[in-house]
Formats: sequence, structure tokens, C-alpha cells
Amino acid sequence: MSEPLESLRLAWHVVVRNWLVYRKDFVANISPTLADPALIMFSLGMGLSPFIGQIDGHSYAQFLAPGMIATTALFTAFFESSYGFYVRMTFESVFKAMLTTPIGVREVILGEFLWVFVRAGLMALGVTLVLFLLGLLPNPWAVLICPLIAGFLSLPCAAIGLLATSWVRNINQFQTVYSFLIAPTYFLSGVFFPLQGQPALAVVVQFSPFYHGVRLIQCVVWGQFPVVEMLQHVAALIGFTLVLGFFAFRRIDRKLTV
Amino acid sequence: MSAESVISAQGVAKRYGTFDALVALDLEVRRGECVGLLGPNGAGKSTFIGCLYGVVLRTGGRLEVFGHDPVREARAIKRRIGVVPQENALDEGLTVLENMQIYARFGGLSRAAADGRIVELLGHMALETKRDAPIKTLSGGMKRRLTFVRALLADPELLILDEPTTGLDPSVRHLLWDKVTDLRDRGKTVLVTTHYMHEAEVLCDRIVVLNKGSVVGVGAPRELIEREAPGFVGIFPRHAETALRPHLQSAWELFHQGHQCCVRAPRFDDLLDLQRAAGLVALQLRPTNLEDVYLKLTGRELEDNE
Repeated sequence: MSEPLESLRLAWHVVVRNWLVYRKDFVANISPTLADPALIMFSLGMGLSPFIGQIDGHSYAQFLAPGMIATTALFTAFFESSYGFYVRMTFESVFKAMLTTPIGVREVILGEFLWVFVRAGLMALGVTLVLFLLGLLPNPWAVLICPLIAGFLSLPCAAIGLLATSWVRNINQFQTVYSFLIAPTYFLSGVFFPLQGQPALAVVVQFSPFYHGVRLIQCVVWGQFPVVEMLQHVAALIGFTLVLGFFAFRRIDRKLTV
Repeated sequence: MSAESVISAQGVAKRYGTFDALVALDLEVRRGECVGLLGPNGAGKSTFIGCLYGVVLRTGGRLEVFGHDPVREARAIKRRIGVVPQENALDEGLTVLENMQIYARFGGLSRAAADGRIVELLGHMALETKRDAPIKTLSGGMKRRLTFVRALLADPELLILDEPTTGLDPSVRHLLWDKVTDLRDRGKTVLVTTHYMHEAEVLCDRIVVLNKGSVVGVGAPRELIEREAPGFVGIFPRHAETALRPHLQSAWELFHQGHQCCVRAPRFDDLLDLQRAAGLVALQLRPTNLEDVYLKLTGRELEDNE
């Protein structure tokens, strides 16, 4: 088998390994991913909709819905590649054992990205189906497209998680990363309120891959297709994935080989 | 490099910042040989092992494993080795079979071939009844045997064992020694690190003693003993030293080991004579062994970093 194909095969087996371990605690693992958006939709969406006027022609629940799909990608990817990867790396020594096999650091990291893509895509599919059943997805084919966008959005988010992993000195420091980077990203990227009235914020969020994912999913869910804007978001996501992925790879490589 | 050479290291060095973990290590391991790496904690044993399959990148020297440089061609090497690392790193939540299936796939075995191979090896390690047991229900000895199974899945030519029997009870230790000996008899090459001198004597054709990143002694166990510390040792309480000193001959060696005072002499009768002359009875009189060699070569006092 050629080397790149062999690399992919090995990276895929890393995904299979993670899936087997994940499956053992399936209910515990998927609970927050599905329960949190459901609670937000119920409390903020259903609860506030009657009090808030239309936003761009959408009720508040309709406005919130696409953000829940993007949020699933952000949280799944970040927590998996920060806490999850860190635990595998330090407490469980999983990579020490893996790296004695034909798997190299490249396959470990490639496998991690693939795993996050698959996991975030599946979780987003779950959330999307729930939104569909609640009648918040007017276009049925969005059920298929949104999880795919979520999968691609999860890649730069996973790179951020891996960068955090390479940077923290103990597991508690992830809380700092969460509080000062992930939480602001979550609350300020157009999921909960439109950014039209916030020109300064609208500029800042351009530097967050999450914002571009949120916008793409909003476009698809709401059935609006500003082609140029969407292409810009796609380009931004690809750019962030490549740049952050490159640095994450370099930093984790130095953690796993000395 | 000769065709029979499995590991060929010349002047291998590893420097972390200003700390030299390996200074200039030379080592040839030939096919079918079992070589033991001895040395205090921090001597560079695990660093050298890491260099062999590319998780530690050496900072100097030449190194080839099966003719491949581990820095550039780690995968070609890793297809032909099996490693028992210091930590088992088994997936605690999975069963024995699931753990081994994952690693069989990593090692390139097909799904169909994997299960047969796993069952066969579990049998060799007396784990056949544990096939479907979760890892967390296994004892320490079982986990270690399973780590051996994992290392052997892809039928490696070179087996690398990093402190394979640390913390195990004697029966498990003997089982593992038997397995390693069987593997070597079937033509496998073995590199083992250990702190147990008896283990090194039982298993190894050749021993390499490391200290502070350098080789300080090489040879077959008997050869090393004959060369570095031949003869017999009498062990006395420390306070006996003043009584012993006047009766020592110049070729003998007196050294301290903890609260004991030891005398090494070429013949057993020398020590009997010494007892009589000093009016003392030794705590123990015995032939020298690998431990005496080890302590002589690596220094008898603990370093600050211990």
C-alpha cells in the first residue's frame, strides 16, 4: 500500500479506536451535546419568542435554531481535542502505546481530526433532526447539509483545542481557555443576537472560525443564499483549518516526540 | 553494517536543553540475540529505546534498526518490532479482545487474521479465559501479560521490553521469562531493560551497563563478572571495618553498601581466613554476581537526582 493511503488507513483505525471507547459510555457522552441545545431552544427560544419581535423575518426560536447546530460542532470539537486528547495523552498514555505501532504522530493527529469531524457531524445530525421535528427547519434537505457544515466547522475548532492541549501545563488550565476564548466565541458570534447593530463586534468575529460556520448554517437553515458572502465564509473556514491545523500539528508533534 | 545486525548504534546522543540524556552510545545487536540494558534510573535506557522507533529524536550519532534510520523511516522499523513499554496503556473501558483487535488492526492484520492470532497469543499467556473481560477487572500481572500479547500481535522480529517485570509476582515473572526465552530460541531478537540483575542473568546473552548516558560495561553476564568483579564477597556489619582493615591484602577490595561493609577477595578461602584472623563471622559469604558488577560500574552512592 502506498504511504499516503497507509497513513489514511492507520488514521482511520485511530477513529475506530476512539469510537469503541466512546460507545461504552454513549448515553453519558451524548447527553450534554443534545440536552444543552434542547434546553436553550426551550428556555430562550420558546420562552422568549413571544416577547421578542421578528429578527429579519424570523421568530426568536427560528433565529436561534441554526446556532445550536454550529454550537454542537464548536463544543464537541473543543472538548474532544482539549480535555479528551489531553487525558488520552497524559493520564491514559494511549499515544505511548500507539506510537510503538506503525502509527506515527501524523496519523495520531490526522485521526484526531477525522474523529472530531465524524463525531461533530453525527452530533450535529442529532441536533438537526430535533430542530426538524420541532418544525424549525423549513427546508428538509438542510438536515443533510447542516451536519456536513458542522463537520467542517469542527476542524478549526479541534485545532484550537489541540493548540490549547499543547499549551496548558495541567488539565485545570483548560478552564481559562474556555472562559476567555471559547465562551466569548459562543456568546458573541451571532448565535444569540444579530450582529448588524454591533459594527465593532462584527469586525472582531471575522477572526473566529466559529462565526463563519454559524453564518453558513444560518444561510442554509433560513434558505437564504447570498453567494458571495457564503463563498467568503467557506474560504475563511478552509483558511482557518489549514493555518490552525498546521500550528496544532507542529505543537502536538513536539509534545509526542522529544 | 553486517547483514545480521538488527540494531546498529554509533555515538548516539540525545540532549535535552543542557542535559545530556545519552552521551555517545555504541551498540550492535545481532539477530537472535537477547541484549539487556542495565543502569540506574535516568541512565538513558528508555531514551535509547525511544530513539529506536522514532519517538525520541536523537541529537547526534548514527542509528539504524533493520537498516532504517528511525528519524526518517520509523514506520518501516515499527512494522517489524513489538514493544512492551513501561506503562501498559491498555484501554481500561474495553475488553481484552477489543483492546487486542484495535492493536491488531494498527499492526496491519486483517480482521479475519486478527481474532485467530489474538486467541492463540492469549493461550500462550494463560489469558484465554479473560477474552471478554474488561481490562479494569484484570490483575496487574494479567495486564502485563496482555501487554506482551499486544506487542506480539504482528509477529515482530525485534522485541523491545522496557522493564517488563517490574512490580510482578515471581510466578508471573517466571512465565514471562519462559516466553521471552522461547521467542529468542525461535530466532527473535530481544532488547530488554531491567533493574533485576537476576532477570538480566537469566535472559540475556549480553549485557550493556549504562551510566549517565554512556556505556560503562559490555559483555556476557559471566564474562562481565569475571572481568569487573571476580571472586567472592564477604558481607560484614559496618562496625566490623576497623577489625577487618589490618588483615586485608592489597588485591582485595573493601567497599560500603548501606550499613554493611563488604570485602571482595579472589578465593573463598581468603574470606574464611579473614573471618578467622579478624575474629568475626560474616553476615554472608557468596560468589560475586551481576549486582556487584552493576554497583561497581554505576557507583554505589545515590546521585542527587535520585
